[in-house]
Amino acid sequence: MQKWLKVVLSLLAVLAFFLGVWLIGRMINPNLNLDETALLRFVFVGIGLLIVLVVYLLTSKNKMWEVGTRQVVYMAIGAALFAIFSYLFNGTVFVVPSVSQVALRPAIAIPMFFGYAFGPVVGFFTGAVGNMFGDALTGFGLSPQWSVGNGLVGLISGMVWLFADKKKSINVVLLVSAVLAAAITVYYFLNPSTSNAMFFDVDNGIFGDAQISMFAGVSVLIGLAIVLIVRFVFGKNIDVAAAVTWAMLGNLVGIGFAAISDIWINGYPPVVALVGEFLPAAGPNLIFAAILVPILVAAYAAVQKQTGR
Amino acid sequence: MLVAWRYKQRNSLLQSFDPRAWIIFFSCFLAGTVVFWDFRYLLFFFAIALLFVFTSRIPWKDMSRAWLFIIGFILFFSVLTFFTGRGGMELYTTEHTLTKLVATFQIFGWTPTLNITAEKTMYAVSMLIRVFSIASMTILIPYSFNPAHYGIIFRGLGLPDKVAYGMDLTMRFIPTFGRDFSLTMDAQKARGYEIEKLGGGLFAQVRKLAPLIVPVTIHAIAGSEDIIDAMDLRAFGVGPRTWLEKLTYRKRDRVLIALGIAILLVSVALSLLGFGKFWVPAFLLG
Repeated sequence: MQKWLKVVLSLLAVLAFFLGVWLIGRMINPNLNLDETALLRFVFVGIGLLIVLVVYLLTSKNKMWEVGTRQVVYMAIGAALFAIFSYLFNGTVFVVPSVSQVALRPAIAIPMFFGYAFGPVVGFFTGAVGNMFGDALTGFGLSPQWSVGNGLVGLISGMVWLFADKKKSINVVLLVSAVLAAAITVYYFLNPSTSNAMFFDVDNGIFGDAQISMFAGVSVLIGLAIVLIVRFVFGKNIDVAAAVTWAMLGNLVGIGFAAISDIWINGYPPVVALVGEFLPAAGPNLIFAAILVPILVAAYAAVQKQTGR
Repeated sequence: MLVAWRYKQRNSLLQSFDPRAWIIFFSCFLAGTVVFWDFRYLLFFFAIALLFVFTSRIPWKDMSRAWLFIIGFILFFSVLTFFTGRGGMELYTTEHTLTKLVATFQIFGWTPTLNITAEKTMYAVSMLIRVFSIASMTILIPYSFNPAHYGIIFRGLGLPDKVAYGMDLTMRFIPTFGRDFSLTMDAQKARGYEIEKLGGGLFAQVRKLAPLIVPVTIHAIAGSEDIIDAMDLRAFGVGPRTWLEKLTYRKRDRVLIALGIAILLVSVALSLLGFGKFWVPAFLLG
């Protein structure tokens, strides 16, 4: 109880401080415009964590939220792998040429796979902490909203654990994702001349200002198509099918959260955030997920069979 | 199996503080740095970073690789800025040209031209200082914190036992998996795999990455069984956890925390009041 009191008191103190700044600042200069972008970063982290909390409270009875030794080790492994892979493939260590404005960022398959295989807690930790350490390794600045976004990718991939029958969940998830993908692609066709904020090509002097390519623009649809192919070709292997579909939903929601929060944080217009940032990040992620996640799921199933665990 | 970071007790200024206090200070420092674009405000953070770097007592040969990487990274970003001004676009709308470099040669009828503008220059300088301050403070952590303290630090910062231990394990696994990755890459190269020649379309490229990513991931998961068993045998998570060592705040740690929070509050307050935005000295605008 005392601990709570301390937290509440310190929060009140911070609030009082900012109220004071605002009031005193207004007296000095009546034309002051409060500039809130710096705070919004942290506000959005709060919103993201709130989403997680609500999801948890709604489903807290489910055993997928239990954290034992196994989960602690898996979340650490996942986060470390995600950090290492995103560090290696961010373009500073391996320079892999991008195809049609799409850079290779295969690391995203890690939180999806860990979320799917080991549950939402492991998935969230893998995405959020892994992204944080990956950014720290690279020396990039702080963008905590992307950490929470990547965490959500893992969390939602793990939501499959809610369903005793994986097969039933797949179709609903596919439908929801298809609607989201279709909506964003229509939005792209309405604004095809937006620049691709995620594309950098030093040699050719392109730094996030080139017009988004057709391929990047429809990449979410391409990703959806591959996911559908995987779903129906490997339909008998329900694990593979469930993993890709849930990973797709996680990717759309998690990256969507990060991109949408950039509307307020970086002051992007909604078009830039959705078409220039969300599409070129989420679309290729889907393609990587649809190819790499099934391979990981199959390899993991083989290991499980071998060790009997 | 575990590969360690290059930690050593060095009696440096950084190590004289409680790691928890330093982490709090560091977070405040980061949050303070990212709200500013003004070169003059950033100099203050730059000075703090330099203070810790020069008192860190880490020999150059230990850190040279990390530093070269940072320097390369910073140069990359400054060069990037100079060619485009990208990233600064949200910060300034008009540019004042200082000089114009026109190449004496032509490539396919195109004359490379470089516009050096006051805004671009100041943006590059501010960016350089900003990235350097953040990166140099971050890079000191693995060299200065005792790996045995990672879990205690995160626990001491108020995280639950399991999350703290998870963070501890994450930090210990990163160098291990880094080594596993290069071992795997060597092994695959010996079998004729060529990462340098990742050709083909996007799908072919992604598929070709599988021989690197899948073995490292699956090996990590398979190898985790030993760790899980070892932790279970020691009754991990059964009762409230105790840690072997205890960290205690001393007076200097409290001062450091207070300083960090003061920096954070003042930075956020200044930025809320509209100070510290992108700044170009008047003489450059001429």
